[in-house]
Amino acid sequence: MTELTQARTEERIREEAKKALASGEVRAVVGWCATRFDDRTRPFFAETAEECDLLVWNPYCINGTAKFALDDRYPDQKLALILRGCDSRAVNRMLRDKQLKRENLYLIGVVCDGKENPICEECQHKTPLVYDVLIGEPAKEQIYPERFRKIEEFEKLSPDERYAYWAAQYDKCIHCYACRNACPACNCIECYADQYRVGWQGKAADREQNQIYGLTRAFHVGDRCIECGECERVCPMHLPIMRQTRKMLKDINELFGSYEGGLSEEETPALGGFRLDDPDEFM
Amino acid sequence: MIISKLNLNKALQILNESAQVFVPAFEVIEDRAAKKSIREKKFLPYREDLEVELEGPNTVKPPKDILFPNVEKLYQYKAAGEDSYIRETLPEETPKILFGIRPCDMRSIKSMDKVFFTKNYVDSYYARRREYVTIVAIGCTETDRTCFCDSMGIDPNTAPGADVMMNRIEGEEAYLLHAQTEKGEALLKNLESLEGPSENVKAIRTDCTLKIRKIPDLDRKLAEMFEHPIWDKVTKGCIGCGTCTFVCPTCYCFDIDNENYGTEGCKYRCWDSCMFSDYTRMAGGANPRPTKKERLRNRYMHKLSYFNERYGETLCVGCGRCIANCPSHLDISEFIEKSSAVDPKAEVYTESIRAAQGKEA
Repeated sequence: MTELTQARTEERIREEAKKALASGEVRAVVGWCATRFDDRTRPFFAETAEECDLLVWNPYCINGTAKFALDDRYPDQKLALILRGCDSRAVNRMLRDKQLKRENLYLIGVVCDGKENPICEECQHKTPLVYDVLIGEPAKEQIYPERFRKIEEFEKLSPDERYAYWAAQYDKCIHCYACRNACPACNCIECYADQYRVGWQGKAADREQNQIYGLTRAFHVGDRCIECGECERVCPMHLPIMRQTRKMLKDINELFGSYEGGLSEEETPALGGFRLDDPDEFM
Repeated sequence: MIISKLNLNKALQILNESAQVFVPAFEVIEDRAAKKSIREKKFLPYREDLEVELEGPNTVKPPKDILFPNVEKLYQYKAAGEDSYIRETLPEETPKILFGIRPCDMRSIKSMDKVFFTKNYVDSYYARRREYVTIVAIGCTETDRTCFCDSMGIDPNTAPGADVMMNRIEGEEAYLLHAQTEKGEALLKNLESLEGPSENVKAIRTDCTLKIRKIPDLDRKLAEMFEHPIWDKVTKGCIGCGTCTFVCPTCYCFDIDNENYGTEGCKYRCWDSCMFSDYTRMAGGANPRPTKKERLRNRYMHKLSYFNERYGETLCVGCGRCIANCPSHLDISEFIEKSSAVDPKAEVYTESIRAAQGKEA
């Protein structure tokens, strides 16, 4: 079978979305719709058959869809998601973190062709890893050899240079929490940063508070990052946020062997498990 | 008065002698690991080595933080027996010049003036900064694809309320400046030595690229649409971040908090966002705006209806920053068109192909 064309894939997405709604089990299908700009789409909830015809599939379908499932954690009906490879890893992430229940989801996987988003060049999983129905022929998984190259380059800088770089970045940060809100690993019911009465996180958007936020978020995400790049894509101030989570993944890969997050619902995150035969050489 | 582009730097230098001048310019951060530099256009204190760009696209962030800083100390205190004190920390009395702000941003400042000066309350912090600022506005020479100020009743070529209005001259590398206030006259006096010949010059006029269909009484229509099903639909794609509010030139909400070190500390205010859950969260945990639907509705309503009710004008100035920067590509101009066209009494709202594409409302 040959690869599906973009138009045919879009048609199939609409068919599957309509089928899902017609089953009566699904309340809405989350995908993308057009905007007034040809090079932009937006996340869209199709709730009627007519609205399913508004779902699009083109190089600009760049927003993650999975995180919208968290908007209603205790739904009466299933939510259907149109999933690319990265979205499927996001679903695995949230299932593994016990924030979503598989039975509340209906997953329409689409073999992705890469989007107009720089992170897509680094994609290793274009075929969704979890789905109920798959559109397209599974693509061969690719290894992106440059995965940690930027981190290696960055590590060569002196601590002072690295600090100056991040300080300048966090001077730009406007403390909007877009990175957190887009991140599938940021799935806490209540974020520490929203617990203002406790006072973990100051609200002022100054360097100090921005750095505390950035650092805390990075460590909270830790080994759970699925490398979808949403944090960086959504940042209105263009902070290279992936560089923080990638650094941790690089360390994890060096310490614990090859590791990627969100590959399955059952995986044990590198830092979330223990082995009795762990050498514990640092103790 | 005519000033040639070649003399612009000289003009800024002269002005910078007696006041702190802020100009739209590029800030560059070198990223040696990725072997590239990140450039961002923003209002920066003038320096001779700045790469100033008056024309071209508008800045990502509006210049509002010069009048209404992101973080502003209100007073400091000490609680230590006889050494105790409470001291107000008003902004310094330093003259500033905001050079090269756009008509949309000037209109925003006028709206902020209404908030901070009228209804029987004067915000002394904002007032102090406002008093010491002289504003030189520039008419747009090109507009972004997200600019729709003229659909919101603003002319991208004029800026009422600015101290000096500046327009690019047609066919020439020069600007036409004229004072609109006494402050503006004083400013231009400083630049007399740079004045160029002014015969038969004509200022460039620009139009917005994005024209939207807004009904004139949308504010009153929306006031009746609080429970309309359109809100469920248009807010679904929102991720609930604060980007739109922080890049908005007219979002003026703030929160007040303190910072304590031992027996000393200060009270400060900082920008807040109605898109955040804690904005309306009560002490006991109840939240009248529990989801992004209620929050985004509030934001749109504030821009398009509530402000009209209180101050008699629309708060959205059509600068397009929220459209350009929204992670989810939500579009307030699309909402204006959809809500202008929709039946206010409808019980069901279904997105139609044309509406979703923003092509026809």
